[in-house]
Amino acid sequence: MIEIEGLSKRYHDNIVLEDIELKIQEGEVIGIIGPSGTGKSTLLRCIDQLEIPDKGIISLDGIRVDLSKKNKKEIIKIRQNTGMVFQKFNLFEKKTALENVMEGLIVVKKMKKEEARKLALEELEKVGMLSFANHYPKHMSGGQQQRVAIARALAMKPRLLLLDEPTSALDPELVGEVLEVIKEIAAKGFTMLLVSHEMNFVKSVSNRVIFLDKGHIVEDGTPKEVFEHPKNQRTKDFFSKMSILNQPEYVI
Amino acid sequence: MSNLFDFKLVFTQLPDLIRFLPITLELALLSMLLGLALGLVLAIVKIRQVKILKSVATFFISAIRGTPILVQLYIAYFGIPMFFKWLNQSYGTDFHVAKIDGFIYAVVALGINQSAYNAEFIRAAILSVGEGQIEAASALGMNYFQTLFRIIVPEAITVALPSLGNSLISVIKGTSLAFTCAVVEMTAQGKIIGGRTYRYFEVYVSLAIIYWVITVVIEKGLSFVEKKLAIPEQVANYIPLEPGTEKVKAKQISKYKVGKEVENDRDRRIIQEVS
Repeated sequence: MIEIEGLSKRYHDNIVLEDIELKIQEGEVIGIIGPSGTGKSTLLRCIDQLEIPDKGIISLDGIRVDLSKKNKKEIIKIRQNTGMVFQKFNLFEKKTALENVMEGLIVVKKMKKEEARKLALEELEKVGMLSFANHYPKHMSGGQQQRVAIARALAMKPRLLLLDEPTSALDPELVGEVLEVIKEIAAKGFTMLLVSHEMNFVKSVSNRVIFLDKGHIVEDGTPKEVFEHPKNQRTKDFFSKMSILNQPEYVI
Repeated sequence: MSNLFDFKLVFTQLPDLIRFLPITLELALLSMLLGLALGLVLAIVKIRQVKILKSVATFFISAIRGTPILVQLYIAYFGIPMFFKWLNQSYGTDFHVAKIDGFIYAVVALGINQSAYNAEFIRAAILSVGEGQIEAASALGMNYFQTLFRIIVPEAITVALPSLGNSLISVIKGTSLAFTCAVVEMTAQGKIIGGRTYRYFEVYVSLAIIYWVITVVIEKGLSFVEKKLAIPEQVANYIPLEPGTEKVKAKQISKYKVGKEVENDRDRRIIQEVS
């Protein structure tokens, strides 16, 4: 079980996250939804200490780390147990797809090159990118880059996978291939935190949904509970706006 | 007026000057290495905003860039022995200042001079690498120095290469001032020859030719390296192979990776076979 306690983050007077408490069970796929600027991405980034929160503690595998303090050794341990998939893929530009996936295995896990290569090829095959192993990021489309980025994160065998709007930078045609891959890994029982604006996808892939508003968790339950019977007024407003957007422009 | 300009001499004395080319190159390469190492350290200090050291680095870069190289050479040549003398006097140590070769002073002065310029080139190149890649590396659990040497430097080097090439060219020409530290390199030898024959003009023309040729060679070398470092325009798809045959076939295929024409039938067959 992974536990996050009292996570708070503010930029000057702007409160982004306030006292977030989150218990994540093994194998849970948690969809995080909510309006823009409510700290969804910041939450993920704070867990990985890419952003340093004002206060907050994470416990994982018996390690308890105060995220607000820069403690290099412990934070590297947390990072090794979590994988991050970014909105803008963030592949290493000067490395091939294969080298991208091998990098963490060699440098962080100290694997032998041959072993890392074998594992990396397996991971690339799982996301359907094996034939692109020799290709550099600039040779690939956005969807392909994101699939390689997912393979890179999964190769590290993380206890918790953080996906930060993995499809937001992709055009509609490419969204499908990435969602397909995420669905497959969710089915394999990876524990995931998924920030996404693809409501239908969140609904179908996750087994728990959290609605964030102004830095607070205002809704927490199964997709059915949150999407169909929201308790909070803010959530209701959000969904009703969404459904207006989804209505056809003309009805004859 | 028949012998105002001895055209033949310009070329006949070339071998006599080129004898000293190794000293010039040695001086330039050692200074460049010192300049690169020190420049990298200064750049990292400035980027990471290391307390105190950061102000020292800024002051150092400003002072070095703000003074002529000739003055720096003189300061090194007179200053370093004075420093050791002071050390000997106040701590009773016994350094033999006179035994230190002028070559060392020249390398130190030229290297320090280069480092100030290189620091800024390297800093700009490192900052040009996207924040996203650095975040991705940290998210994998890599520490700063692993990220620096495995992710940032390989990419930054393509950005820094043209300016560092400039640095190398300028340090080669900077070596022509090393005579101030009593180092006899090419230009110094030229002055000596000129003093003997009074054909100063011809000697300087010969020197100009040699320096220019060196620079052209470096320019060619740099553009070659730049092409080597660039990400290839296109690469072949990865094809998994039967275990065992992998090494032999990969070797044959690798010749053609960057979109080259297949040269012979045997290779064509192998490539067809695997694809």
